[in-house]
Amino acid sequence: MITVNIMSTVMDTLKTICLLSLLLALGLGLRPPASLAHHGWAWTTGENMTLEGVIKEVKLGNPHGVLKVDSGGTLWTVEVGQPWRNERAGLKDGDLVAGVTIRVIGEPASDSSDKRLKAERLFLGDREYVLYPDRD
Amino acid sequence: MQALLAAVEATSIAQYLRASRWGYAAVSFTHILGFALLIGAIVPLNLRLLGLWPAIRRSTLMRVLVPAAAFGLMLAVPAGLLLFSVKAQDYSSIGFLQVKLALIGAGILSAVTAHLRYGLALEGASETRLRLHALISLGCWLGALCLGRLIAFALD
Repeated sequence: MITVNIMSTVMDTLKTICLLSLLLALGLGLRPPASLAHHGWAWTTGENMTLEGVIKEVKLGNPHGVLKVDSGGTLWTVEVGQPWRNERAGLKDGDLVAGVTIRVIGEPASDSSDKRLKAERLFLGDREYVLYPDRD
Repeated sequence: MQALLAAVEATSIAQYLRASRWGYAAVSFTHILGFALLIGAIVPLNLRLLGLWPAIRRSTLMRVLVPAAAFGLMLAVPAGLLLFSVKAQDYSSIGFLQVKLALIGAGILSAVTAHLRYGLALEGASETRLRLHALISLGCWLGALCLGRLIAFALD
């Protein structure tokens, strides 16, 4: 029957797609990413550092807010809070924008080649904004 | 493509989810509920096809698990698309997500064609065919689950 032949061809095509996807998943997908980040603090050093620089790029919003900060010619990725955390800290729309000078206290990535910092608190001018009140 | 992804990010629902605490949490919950149902149904179903629990009639088990898996998929896909819309441009560049979507596509196609061809309980398929289908299905869905989890560890 013609329908059966078509179904057979579809099944064979599918099998090929599935196998190719699996190969892709093994070869490409499961390679560890350049940097493990975001969830919790396991990827940080556990020690605070202070970073001062100028905000170059801003991406706020769920699931994570991220700033690019130029500090003495090095571009750092600074992880700030989700909208509710930033709001609780007292940050308003328009506070974190490109061109603003910022001082961040937080924990850097253990991998020192990854210029990434998770902010615990930050300063805009003299005003302090505390993202994680329970952390030092 | 980039313009389309930017348009997705600019939709009002994406903007709402980007800023909302509990709205985003609710969509995230729905996505997890959906794939928990899907995986919870598809794994025992495929293990049965591979020969586990021979005393339980396949058709009885499938009458429960096939709709459960399909319902889970119908929750997980729209919720997943909403989560994607929040950062469409960033997410689309993640290799994990691209392969995950390919696996989901392959998993759905393989399920639909198998059921169309062999019936709802796959009663028309040979043992060899069933085992092959079960392996493909397990690979697709467990692979998609694993890659989905890895997305959280890939984004800048």
